[in-house]
This record gives sequence, structure tokens and C-alpha cells, in this order.
Amino acid sequence: MLRIRNLNSGYGKLQVLYNLDIDVPTKGLTVVVGPNGAGKTTLLCSIMGIARVFSGDILYEDKSIAGKLTHTLAQKGISYVPQMGNVFAELSVLDNLQMAGYLSKKEDAKAKAEQMTEIFPVLKKFIHRKAGTLSGGERRMLAIAMGLMKDPKLMLLDELSTDLAPIIAEKVMMEVSRLRDELGITILMVEQMAKRALEIGDTAYLLVSGEVRYTGKADELLNEPELCSMYLGIKQADDKGSSFTLSATDEGSDQG
Amino acid sequence: MAPWMASGLIYASGLALTAGSITLLYITTRTFNFAVASMATWGFMLAYTGVSLYGGTPYVYLPLVFIAGSLLGLIAYYGLNRHLLRRNAAEITLMMSTLGYDLILLSIVQMFADYLTLTYKLYPRRVMLSAHDFQLFGERAAAFILPVIAIGLLVALHIFLTKTKFGIAMRATIENPVLAGASGINPDRVYMISWVISGGMSAIGGAAMAMAITGTPVMGMNTIPLMFAGAILGGLHSLYGGILGGFMIGLTEYAGVFYLSREIGPWIQGYRMGIPLILMAATLLLFPRGLAGIPWAKLFGNLFSRKRGDN
Amino acid sequence: MSAVAKTERKAPRLIGIRELVLLAIIIALLSFFIFSGREKTIWAIVFEFSIFAIITLSLNLETGFTGIPQFGRVAAVITGAFAVGALPGRLMAYIIGEPWGAEYANAVFNYRIVPVINELLASNIFYSIGFLLLCLFTAAVFGAAIGWLISRPAIRLKEAYLGISLLAFGDFFMWVGHNWNIMVGGSTPINVPDPFRIFGGDRFMAAVLVLFFIAIVIYIYLERLTKSPFGRNLKMIRDNEVSASAAGLDVVKVRTRSLVIGSAIAAMGGGLYVIYTGSIGAIGFQKLTFTFWPWAYMMLGGIGSNFGVLMGVMLLVILKTMIIVFRYDWFAFMVNVGIDPMWLEFTLMGAVIVLVILFVPHGLVPEKVEPVLPEERVKRVLAKRQLEKTSEPVS
Repeated sequence: MLRIRNLNSGYGKLQVLYNLDIDVPTKGLTVVVGPNGAGKTTLLCSIMGIARVFSGDILYEDKSIAGKLTHTLAQKGISYVPQMGNVFAELSVLDNLQMAGYLSKKEDAKAKAEQMTEIFPVLKKFIHRKAGTLSGGERRMLAIAMGLMKDPKLMLLDELSTDLAPIIAEKVMMEVSRLRDELGITILMVEQMAKRALEIGDTAYLLVSGEVRYTGKADELLNEPELCSMYLGIKQADDKGSSFTLSATDEGSDQG
Repeated sequence: MAPWMASGLIYASGLALTAGSITLLYITTRTFNFAVASMATWGFMLAYTGVSLYGGTPYVYLPLVFIAGSLLGLIAYYGLNRHLLRRNAAEITLMMSTLGYDLILLSIVQMFADYLTLTYKLYPRRVMLSAHDFQLFGERAAAFILPVIAIGLLVALHIFLTKTKFGIAMRATIENPVLAGASGINPDRVYMISWVISGGMSAIGGAAMAMAITGTPVMGMNTIPLMFAGAILGGLHSLYGGILGGFMIGLTEYAGVFYLSREIGPWIQGYRMGIPLILMAATLLLFPRGLAGIPWAKLFGNLFSRKRGDN
Repeated sequence: MSAVAKTERKAPRLIGIRELVLLAIIIALLSFFIFSGREKTIWAIVFEFSIFAIITLSLNLETGFTGIPQFGRVAAVITGAFAVGALPGRLMAYIIGEPWGAEYANAVFNYRIVPVINELLASNIFYSIGFLLLCLFTAAVFGAAIGWLISRPAIRLKEAYLGISLLAFGDFFMWVGHNWNIMVGGSTPINVPDPFRIFGGDRFMAAVLVLFFIAIVIYIYLERLTKSPFGRNLKMIRDNEVSASAAGLDVVKVRTRSLVIGSAIAAMGGGLYVIYTGSIGAIGFQKLTFTFWPWAYMMLGGIGSNFGVLMGVMLLVILKTMIIVFRYDWFAFMVNVGIDPMWLEFTLMGAVIVLVILFVPHGLVPEKVEPVLPEERVKRVLAKRQLEKTSEPVS
């Protein structure tokens, strides 16, 4: 569904990504992992037309979308859930959902919002509250709900698990794999919680310093002990104990 | 009504509208609109032309004035601001570009004034627009009508921004343009609409102001510091703050001049501009982010705020 | 990466093709005046060029090099003008025993006192020079003081807030001058002693030449100042305040210094304007002329480029003068419907600002990215190191 060829991109004059080749197969869950500052967020921003594409091409349903404006991509069915600033803090939860369904008809959006509050009951409780007053986990739920509001063909998820308690993070991951299995949505996911993401993912890319270091089946990357311990903070030894080996790095420093 | 109040209210309404229009445009497009000066002058000029050529009260022409201001805003957006926003230009560049536009508008308004003088024997370089006003409750009608218009526009704008889909989309874009774009909201449309509204508001503001002060082709140019002062006093980040700031600047000037000249002497008239500026400077020194930056919630405890974990 | 490589490759030339072309255009425009039999106008152009070059250069120091949005340039200019209008003349009046208090600013007394002072000044070349220097000194001192005053809020306020506050106070200054009768006569313009009277009939030409000379001196001074370590500090603060202060720079101090120097120079510009015209009327110091025009000049010439500013001022002053001089020949169609083509001056300035921002955002002569050390010196250092390296194993 999405093919990235020889992509060089960045912000302003600063180049972040170098000669990237990435394929996102239809109805698959593609996982991009890598250490902080590898350019994972920039990759999603380049697809969404937020970062600047210097050269190379991004093909979505066999049409080039490199350098297209963000809102036109949303109209084409790409939904993007950013890591930071993923809700409108000044708007109420309901307004947030409605804005996410901006492109659909009013009744459709209403029905869809109803549906979302059923999937995420916590949103129903706070439906008239400003989104800025929600807790980190609740915000993330809202952000995912907003991503789903659009009936996307392709979802770009940026670090869903940050800010979340492990139990909720696990729930979110389950939710993501359910999106693929039940709704058949194509997903490109960038994740810090590398191990769990690789377990549920189909294809995986390891991104290091703006370059692809590994391409292949997601679970096979877990069998590369050197790459795993070097870039993903996954130690093979105590791997059986917990399934949430968060890499010991800050969130958010990956912005740019 | 105290003697200063009628003129003060009229003038303050004009300042509130222009300051509000500056604030609206700033929060949507990051642009400090210098061109408000000449848009306001155009508003006055058109109301004056209408009144002197076709008669009636100036209020009749306000819808026309609003449309004209909107058109000027549209030209500014499509001719200038849009390209710069796409280029992600710096705030100062955006500000300078509107200064250039303002100078062009100023030159055209001057030429228009010349044209009116020769062709229609009008003299738009010293206009008392209030001469065309009527009396209401023993006061000039403008003292009632214009504040109502200013507040009415504010209420309409508030309803538009909180109740309509596009209004909410505008607020969403103001807060987070990236996410709004990713939701499929076209930021171009949002910017365009805010130029239209803000252009119309400043034109009406100019016409309103000319009911209190002498209308000239440089009226906007002379009062622009005070319009900005109103916007700054309001804090630049809240539309309501901007309008409140404009009102406060206008009222303090008139009240201050009235009472001070009674206490100290009429010479204070010449320094009238200093009074609102002192107010602005004092506010900025205490609260560098203006009225909207005053921690109201903190001042009044948790009475009004139900916020929980802001971040 | 590529940006760094580019600057290394570019050899710093003293004068480039761009500058030569601009000079050629300026000379062509000037000779147009000569061919149309209006050589006298050139003197007026040079006068305006000198004054506005001084003011715009000072604006460029504060805005172009330090990054302060100086929308209140007129404040410092007015300060200089008022200082020169009010003080040196009073001092002379005091010396020769004429009334020098509030009466000095009264037109009735003033028109009688100033010719007496002028006579005294014209009697001795040293008096004249001394008086001129005194005027410049007074303007600079008061300008520096006002610059320091401005710098206090400038440290506290953010970009746009600062720009607008400066704009507002610039206007307020004008109203103070306009109303405070006992300073420079308020709404009635008063005369200012004329140190150029000694040249008799050639007075205006001599004054223009002196002004031009002072403008060039200030240009050289600013060129050296901005190339000095202090100039580099300014650019550092402009480009990234946080990293500049992290590198150990006292941002407040450097900014204050820039504002003080800039305002002192602008005040000298205002003072010289008053001396040249021989009278001062506060209402003449509008923000349009003394804030917005210099901004237009600077933007056309190139923000952060002193030479560019000179070119920008020259070009626009010439075009402006052309509109005024040839208005009845070229714009007769406007005159016919009662429109004074003088307003085209505003159109020109506005259009220049808009077009420059849209199409040549860095101006006609963009600021050069200059390496800290000249290329040759870098090469020499490298060669020396290479030599040391190769000679090491031998020894």
C-alpha cells in the first residue's frame, strides 16, 4: 500500500533520513524500531508532508504523495496519530472526536464518536471535559480513538506506548493488533516498546541514525541478539521474565 | 452619563474591534497585522463617502464597510500572507509584509481622498462623522449602538468558534496546526476565513472610531499604536482579551484626559496618548503576557477553575 | 553540511558583481537627472541619502545584527533632533548673554536670538566646527541615554511585544515634542543655529558634503564594529539567544550595548537633519518617515549587510525623488482627476517591502556568511600543522 523509495528528508536544511526504502504491505502491521534520534518520527512526518522531502519518492496506492499537503493526505485515507500534541487540549473530548471526523458527514461522525466511546469507555465519562485535563493514558486513548474516527485505510502510529502504565500499554498493543486482524487496517507503527511491538508486528525495520539497518520479518529481528541489545535495549537473558522491556531512554527527545 | 463617556465608549468600541481583529489574526496566522491601520481608514472613508453622497446614517453603510474590509483581507491573504505562511516565514517577516501592504493601502486611500475632493467637492481630510448621527436618550446614538455592535460581533464570533463545525476547526488549527492538518482540516481555509473576519472587523472599527475622533486619511496610521496597545494589553493569545484590552485602552484615555485635565490642567490634553501607554506599560511590567496572562485562577483560588493536571 | 562547504569554497571578495551592477544602476539613474537638466536635485538626493544612511545603518545594527525589532527608530531620531534643537543653541545664548530659558523656545525671541548666534558662528571657522561637534556630541549623549532606557524593557519583553511597545513610544515622543512648548517650541517650529553659515552662498553644498562625509565615517565605523568580536557576539545572539548565553555571553549586556550605540547614531542622524534644515518642528518627525522608510531601505538593501543598506537607501531615495520631481510630467493622468502623484511615494515604499519579502527575502546585497578567520589564514594554519606532523617522526 505504501512504498518508500530512496527517501532523503529532514527539516529545513537539516537532513535526518538517508536513502530509506520501506514497504508497508496492505493489511499488514509494519513496525519501525530504533534508538532515540534515529528519525522514526521524521519518517512519519515525511509521509504526512510535515517534514521536507529532499529527494526520493513516497508511493501510496501507486501514486506519489511526496510533498503533498497534510490535509489532502488525510482526505486520501491516511490517519496519523502523533506522539506529542496528539489531542486538541483546548477542545472538549467530544469536539476532539468531531474534529477527527472532520471529513465525514455530521451524522456519520456522530455515530462514529458514539462507537468510540463504547470502545474506550473512559472517554464517555469525560466527554464534555477539555482534553487538556485528561491524564496521559486517557489522552492516548483519545488520540487512538481520533485516529480511528477517520475510517483510515492506512494508520501511522507514533510511539503509542509512551506515557502509559505497562498494563494499559499492553492493552493498547492488543488493540493495535485487533485493528489489523478485525478491521483490516494497514498500519505503520513506530515504537519504543520494541519487544512487544515486534511480537505483534509482521514486517520490521530497524532504523539507526536515519538509515535502515535491518529489514525482515518482525519476529526474526528478535533473534538477532546483537542488534537487539545494541539498539533496542532488549537483553536476551532475562527476556522471559517480562514482556515490557522498555528501552532505558527518555521519551520525547526523538523529535527531531 | 459623564461627559467623557459618550465619546469614550464610541472610541473604545472602535479600538476594541480593531484590537480584536489584530488578536484574531495573530492567534490564527502568527501575523501582526499593520494593515489594520489602513483597513480601518478605508472603513471610515467608505462610510463617509456613503453618507455624504447618498445620505442616511453611517450605520446603514456598516455592512458594506464590513464587506470591503473582508475584501482587503482576502487580497492580503492571497497576495501575500499565504505564500509567506507556506514558507514558514518568521514573525517579523510576516509583520513587515503587512506594513508594506498597509503603505500601499494608505497611498490608495490618499488618492481616493484627492479624487473625492476634485470630483465630488468633498473634503475627507477633516471629517466629523458624528455630524451625521442622530440623538438617542439625549446622547449621540453611537454611544449606544457602537458598543452593542462591538459586543454583538464578539458574541457572534464566540458562537461561531464554539458551536459550528468550522469554528471548532478554526480553534483546532490555532492550537495544533499539524494535528488539524492530519485530521483533514485545510489550514488555508482557516487562515482565509480569519483574514476575512479580521478585515471586516477592522474596517467597522475604523468607521466606529471616526464617530469619536476627526476622520482623516491618516487616522488609522495615527491610532495604530493604540490598536496594538489594546491587543497587547489583552495578551495577544485570547480574542476576548484583545477586545477587552481595546475597550480598556479607549476608556482610560478618555476618562484619564477628562479627570486629569480637571485636576492638573488642560495642558494634559496634548499628552493624552501617554495615558493608555502608561496603562499598557504597567500591565506589561507586572504581567508580561497581558491581561490574558494574569493567573486569574490563582488569584481567585479554585473557585473558577476545575483544571486537573494541565500537562 | 553543504552550507558549511559552500562558505569555505566562496572566496570573500571585496566587491562582487552584484554590487557593481547596483552601482552602475545608481550612476545611470543619477546621470538621468543631469541629462534632464536637474543637477541641483542631486544635492538634495545626497543630503537625504546621508541622513537616512545614518539612520538606517543604526537600525541595521539593532535589527539586522542584534535581532531587536526596532519599530521605534523615530524615538531616538527625535531625541537627537530635540537635543540639538534645544541645548547647544541655549548654551550659545547663555554665553552671549541672550535669554536662554523658556523664552529661547518662543518663536518671537528665538527668531531674534538665533541670527545673533549665527553671526557669531560665521565669524570664526573654529566656532563653527566646535558648534557642529558640540551638536553631534549632545545628540549622541542623549541618544545613548534613550537607547539605554529602551534597553530596559527590551530585556524583559518578547519579540512582537517589544516591537509594538517601541512603536507606541516612538509616537508618544513626537507628541511630547509637539506639546512641550518650552523645549523646542512645540507646534511652532523654531530655528536652530547654523554652523554652516560661514560658507555663505555655498552653505547647502558644504553642508551636504559634510553630512556625506559623516555618513561614510559612520559606515566605516559600523563596518568595523560588526566585523569585530563584538559584532560576532551580536550575530550569535540574533541567531540563537539560548546557545549564545550558554556559550558564556552576557546577552543583556551585549544587547544593551547594541541599543545604546544604535540609538546614539540614530540621534546623530536626527541632529544633523535639524542642523541642515535650520529649524525644528516636532510634527515633522513621523514614524512613517523615520521608522518605516528606514525599514524599507534596510529590507531592500539586505538585512544584516551594511553595504547593502547604503545601496538600498541610495536606490530608494533616487526613485522617491524621481516621483516628486517628475510627477507632473509622468503622472499627468493622475493630476487630471485631482490626484497628487506625491502619494506614489507611499505606493513605491509599500510595493518595495512586499516585493522584496516575496521575491528577494535577503535583499539586493545579502549578508555574507563569513568565516571567523580569512581563508588564507586557515590554509596557513593547516599547512603549519601539516608541516609539524610530517616533521615529527623525523625529529
